[in-house]
Amino acid sequence: MTGALHRFVEHTGELELVVQAPTETGIFEEALAAFRSIVGVGDGETVRRDIEVSAPDRESLLVAWLGELVFLAEIEGFVPDRAASLALAEGRLRAAVVGHFGRPSHLVKAVTLNSLELREEGGSWHARVVLDV
Amino acid sequence: MPGSSSTSDLIKVDETLWEIPASARADMNVPARVFADEALLEALAGDRSLEQLQNVATLPGIVDAALAMPDVHQGYGFPVGGVAATALPDGVVSPGGVGYDINCGVRLLALPLRAEELGARREALVDRIARRVPAGAGKAGELRLEGDDLDDVLRMGPRALLARGIGTGDDIERTESSGCLPGADPSLVSERAHLRGAGQLGTLGSGNHFVELQRVERVLDKETAEAFGLHDGQVTVLIHSGSRGLGHQVCTDYVRLLDERRARYGIVLPDRQLACAPASSPEGQAYLAAMAAAANFAFANRQALAHAVREAVEEVLGSRAARETRQVYDVAHNVAKLERHAGRELCVHRKGATRAFPAGSEDIPAAFRRVGQPVFIPGSMGTSSFVLVGGPRALERSFGTTCHGAGRRLSRTRAKKLVNGRELRRQLESAGVVVRCPSGAGLAEEAPFAYKDVEQVVDVVERAGLARRVAQLRPLGVVKG
Repeated sequence: MTGALHRFVEHTGELELVVQAPTETGIFEEALAAFRSIVGVGDGETVRRDIEVSAPDRESLLVAWLGELVFLAEIEGFVPDRAASLALAEGRLRAAVVGHFGRPSHLVKAVTLNSLELREEGGSWHARVVLDV
Repeated sequence: MPGSSSTSDLIKVDETLWEIPASARADMNVPARVFADEALLEALAGDRSLEQLQNVATLPGIVDAALAMPDVHQGYGFPVGGVAATALPDGVVSPGGVGYDINCGVRLLALPLRAEELGARREALVDRIARRVPAGAGKAGELRLEGDDLDDVLRMGPRALLARGIGTGDDIERTESSGCLPGADPSLVSERAHLRGAGQLGTLGSGNHFVELQRVERVLDKETAEAFGLHDGQVTVLIHSGSRGLGHQVCTDYVRLLDERRARYGIVLPDRQLACAPASSPEGQAYLAAMAAAANFAFANRQALAHAVREAVEEVLGSRAARETRQVYDVAHNVAKLERHAGRELCVHRKGATRAFPAGSEDIPAAFRRVGQPVFIPGSMGTSSFVLVGGPRALERSFGTTCHGAGRRLSRTRAKKLVNGRELRRQLESAGVVVRCPSGAGLAEEAPFAYKDVEQVVDVVERAGLARRVAQLRPLGVVKG
């Protein structure tokens, strides 16, 4: 997404991901890009996965979204490229994710609630999430 | 209230123990205590371990103190190297106090030969182990168990694998809790967790998991080493792995559930990852039953890995060597257990910390009761590991707990900036360590300099009376995930 970016900040034990985007939807799309940068590139068949997750609040929805990508990568070897569509509603996310089957090289074990943030500030959106690796 | 903490907040209690009093923050129920020396404390200055330890001290029902072992470093929720005991029945259980890799732990095997006798066959043995042990995140193994077969493992642990010729009764006796935590209930383990675990029994995983071929470099306590069946020059194999995707999913499921139900119990926490519920509540009981199932899976996973090592030994050194490859012990370092300490029934969370019961404990195998429980402390890759024995003061000072490793000092990102996988492989091999690792980046993340000095860590736990050195092990080869 234009204007969106992510970076990993220093964390002794795990991976701490910081995401910035012009929109809330952009946060979720950029988090996918960050996840892809960890698991590598899929070079197998192109596939599409429809994802629907729910959570009691928006921060937890980000955790559930990344958690779904962790699950698909581990179970299917699915490496996401991009969200062809992504829609947020209250406590719910629906997305169609295009990617490839591959051999994810460095998987995330889980997505934690530690230091979890998702907020709008000064006209842009910011998120922070710690991944157990 | 929650905020940054620094080592200057610590008050020295004695040469190896430091404390932040409970009065330091309004929400702390007990003090936060760190076993360390001054040099190890300096390593904490750059991360949030102390703040996380103070957060642990806020848990409802926590008793005595939130404790950190000398290998402590920043984690998520609990620091890695953290210990917390809560009073039953209403003290809480926190899945984050166990971690995602439920019952991550280490198992030591002793081979019936000396390193000199292994000689030139060393590289072949490491190669065979690498072929037999599926490594890497998400990697599936040959042993795919589903349905009732998987549930038997969740209920019974490694005992469920005996009929398949995997492991022996002696292995099970020489496993913490005989490889089976009571109360495991597979029906409380989600379908997703079952799916993630189905193909992963007997697989190593990624990150800091490994199988290391070693030699006993020095015996430091001859009588105890003999009780453990270890002698100078002997070849050993140390296996480090856990409950794989199954455990990760169990923790994910229950952190979410307990986070959602916090308000029901009026629990206020400084970090959502500490999500918890009274151990006696339906949610707390459900987590304990699912965690026990994942822990049993992890014990079985290390048993399947040990079987693969024995197969490699058979291929390279013959069937007699494989038959005579004995298990020294298997210890968990991410688990919550219901234990009795000083007349109190407690739920003891050990997150990156190892149970270390002393001589005379009823909860350790009869073979070790005279000397104490074996504890294995892996060093960083390429450096020594240690065999310890539970120390005389462990029960009174740390709920019978000691450290679990060297403890990270640098982030993975920084480690990779300082060395690449190819260069590290060259350095290790020139130091005489055969390396088999599918990922150069994964290797670099685990570079020895990314960890604290394991000798310093072990020195602190020995001086604190938590555990005592028995033997030092030197790496000959390593297979990494």
